[in-house]
Amino acid sequence: MQAPKDQSAAEKARELLVKAVLEGPRKTTAEKSTETAKTVRRMVKQLAQKAHEARARGEPVAYLFIASFYDDILRAMDIVTVGTENYAGLCAAKLDAERFLAKAEAEGYPRHLCTYATCGLGFDALRYELGTMPPDAPDGGMEYPTVMLGTGMMFCDPRYKWYQAAQRYTNAPTYVLGLLNPPLYYTHIDLAEVRDYYLKYITSELRELVNFLERRLGRKMDWERLSQVVDLSERTIKLWWDAYQLRKAIPTPMSTEDAVNTMVPGYFSMGTEEAYQFYQALYQELKYRVEHKIGVIPDEKYRLLWALSLPPWYALVLFNYFEKLGAVFPIEAVYHPLPPLNIPENVTDPLERMALRFYNSVTYWYEKARMNSGNPWVEWFLELIRDYKIDGVVFHQARTCRTIHCGQLHQMNILRKYSDIPMLLLEGDIVDIRNYDEKATQGKIDAFIEVVDAYKRRKKA
Amino acid sequence: MSQKQEVNSAWAQVEEIYRDRLGKAKEYKGKDGKLIGYLCSFTPVEMITAADAIPYRITGNMREPITLADAHLETIACPFTRSCLDMALKGNYDCLDGFVVPHACDNIVKLYDIWVYNIKHPYAHFVNVPHTLSKPSLDFFAAELATFKKSLERFTGKELTVEKLTRAIEWHNEQRALVRELFQLRKHEPPLISGAEAIKAIAAVTAMPVYEGNKLIYSLIKESQGRYYSHKRKATRLMICGTGNEEPVFVEAVEESGAHVVIDDLCFGTKPYWFEVSVSTDLLGGIARSYLERLNCPRTYRQSPGSHKADLESRFGYIYELARDFRAKAVILYITKYCDTHSFDAPDLKEFLRKKGLPVLEIEGDYPLSALAGLKTRVQAFLEMIA
Repeated sequence: MQAPKDQSAAEKARELLVKAVLEGPRKTTAEKSTETAKTVRRMVKQLAQKAHEARARGEPVAYLFIASFYDDILRAMDIVTVGTENYAGLCAAKLDAERFLAKAEAEGYPRHLCTYATCGLGFDALRYELGTMPPDAPDGGMEYPTVMLGTGMMFCDPRYKWYQAAQRYTNAPTYVLGLLNPPLYYTHIDLAEVRDYYLKYITSELRELVNFLERRLGRKMDWERLSQVVDLSERTIKLWWDAYQLRKAIPTPMSTEDAVNTMVPGYFSMGTEEAYQFYQALYQELKYRVEHKIGVIPDEKYRLLWALSLPPWYALVLFNYFEKLGAVFPIEAVYHPLPPLNIPENVTDPLERMALRFYNSVTYWYEKARMNSGNPWVEWFLELIRDYKIDGVVFHQARTCRTIHCGQLHQMNILRKYSDIPMLLLEGDIVDIRNYDEKATQGKIDAFIEVVDAYKRRKKA
Repeated sequence: MSQKQEVNSAWAQVEEIYRDRLGKAKEYKGKDGKLIGYLCSFTPVEMITAADAIPYRITGNMREPITLADAHLETIACPFTRSCLDMALKGNYDCLDGFVVPHACDNIVKLYDIWVYNIKHPYAHFVNVPHTLSKPSLDFFAAELATFKKSLERFTGKELTVEKLTRAIEWHNEQRALVRELFQLRKHEPPLISGAEAIKAIAAVTAMPVYEGNKLIYSLIKESQGRYYSHKRKATRLMICGTGNEEPVFVEAVEESGAHVVIDDLCFGTKPYWFEVSVSTDLLGGIARSYLERLNCPRTYRQSPGSHKADLESRFGYIYELARDFRAKAVILYITKYCDTHSFDAPDLKEFLRKKGLPVLEIEGDYPLSALAGLKTRVQAFLEMIA
């Protein structure tokens, strides 16, 4: 590691941290098994480059969140996007998040806030202070946004609070659209009674977003083009879904360390030919691997489910650690393609189709949950455990993310009532390596694999 | 406040109810209708009242360690919601006939799922409140309130007629007006009621039928107007903003440190009382608009009018107006740990108030509140700094 020229306290701390980490694992990212997944890093760089070029040409650039469900609108209006959570994950994987996290803390954002957000806010604050991109920022840095597009959803407050706070550094207007879904449970109301006005709301909010973008950016929506983009997205999602079904094979042709990469086109380039072709290539490769029984590791002993958990981006190499012990992850309940949906032929408005896609994905397991476990996530886990022949379930609790990681204990408690499958809860974070203890994590994994082994033997007997 | 309270005085009643809020609510249960527990200021309480039920505001317990909840809800969740769940799991809320939660923030959404799975009340409902103020959001919220109305009717077997709903809105608006009148007494120098008393009063009236609460506040106003001081304690006038504080532990600590807490922007303070619900031909639309537009909370996103300065004014201008109106000299921003919505706002709010000339002390609080002595030291140092 080269010593920085002008060392601030934060840089020194970072250097020490990097050194400490390097003394442990030599790298942060995991070895991937599919060739298709290996192309994703290049795509990520290209996405950043596109944003830099758009800015240089004076064209709009939008900050956006993963799984915001309005990407098709941006594609149809040729608005280049910057996935801000993705960038924080990249900084973490490059062990270059600490200076941005430290900056956010210095600005008054507490350490317990979502570290995607604090990494992003710290980056924006630093760029604002320097008047230029922070030196050596990964992929040339997050490009300056023309607009920031948040979402008021049921499960992630940072999706509207982060960009609201970022306005002080970006001077870019924020627009927040509401994307709400009904709760699973009421005592005196059926889901069917609320469906129509939820769909109407989502459609109207998507239309309001189009109005905002037209007004703000002086571009007109080409509705025919939007229909084509929506078509392409639907075909891409179907292809992506079908590709992942191939992972049911024994040995599995692809593991979660690949999936945290192969989700990139689906979440950051949806509605493009590039994404479609990517999943075509993935499908073909997985099919080939299944037909030739090419697994992720030579001797697949244990098949694990990566449950609803965001990964520690600074330590994806832990997936390889599982593999050393004979364990693979044929599937994960995160970064998954949206579930299948048959849109009625009479629904032709592209915004209505997008609304249906959102509503279907957030309520897909509701009916099953009401009939069985009472929890839609658990219902999905049970389905995955059965279909992918899973021997153990791994959760990762990211200490700064309440969105996904509050509720894991509840899911585990319920799952325990419906399955005797072994479960493991790892602790760490998405971006902040200070919340991670590698040795303790490996110790937990070692013990867990022993439990899974005993469970498998018991099942066999 | 060194006032002696008569045994049967209104303030003595507040103290008694505050010490056993649930016990008091149980006295009304059955006689005055079903007891429906709710969380957060975004629950449209007038609709519960219109269903001939008693809205009971659920709290945690700052004095009791969280034990059972930790097996169900992660320790990274807001400790207020963890404490509420803990109380429920310990059986404290078994007496509730119903449980209503509005979509306020992530923590409360998570709490709803876990609560209704583990504790089976005869009635449970989730009111989905949009985060934005767009026209579709207002229409959606009105539709959502129509669903809430339908569910209440099915549960109670009683129709929420226009007359009942109008009367309930009027009762609750009257309560809002009375609380505002009561709080006006804090403008005096020294204030005629303390910050701790204000919180206890709110805690008391949210544990009883609205019409009973109105009588109590009316008596409090009358009684407090007659207060006199044998000596006037000079102290710095402070405002408290932020989260939690349904128990006056922190506010008492601040007042014991030599300050008067003269106004607040808290959920057990001004927040649910500083607006009125419109009464019009579209009653549900009026409730939707009033709660969404006029109830200030960081969980509601307000579109920036343009510049950063204008954005801060639109989001926090009301806080400055309150501070100015009640002649607060400084602000304590108290945020319970893991409250994301308030924590994201903190740097902006501090910048806004400081630019307006109001010093700000930010405190990240635990729940149950610990290390009170340390907090007092920080408050005392702050008071010395701004003296």
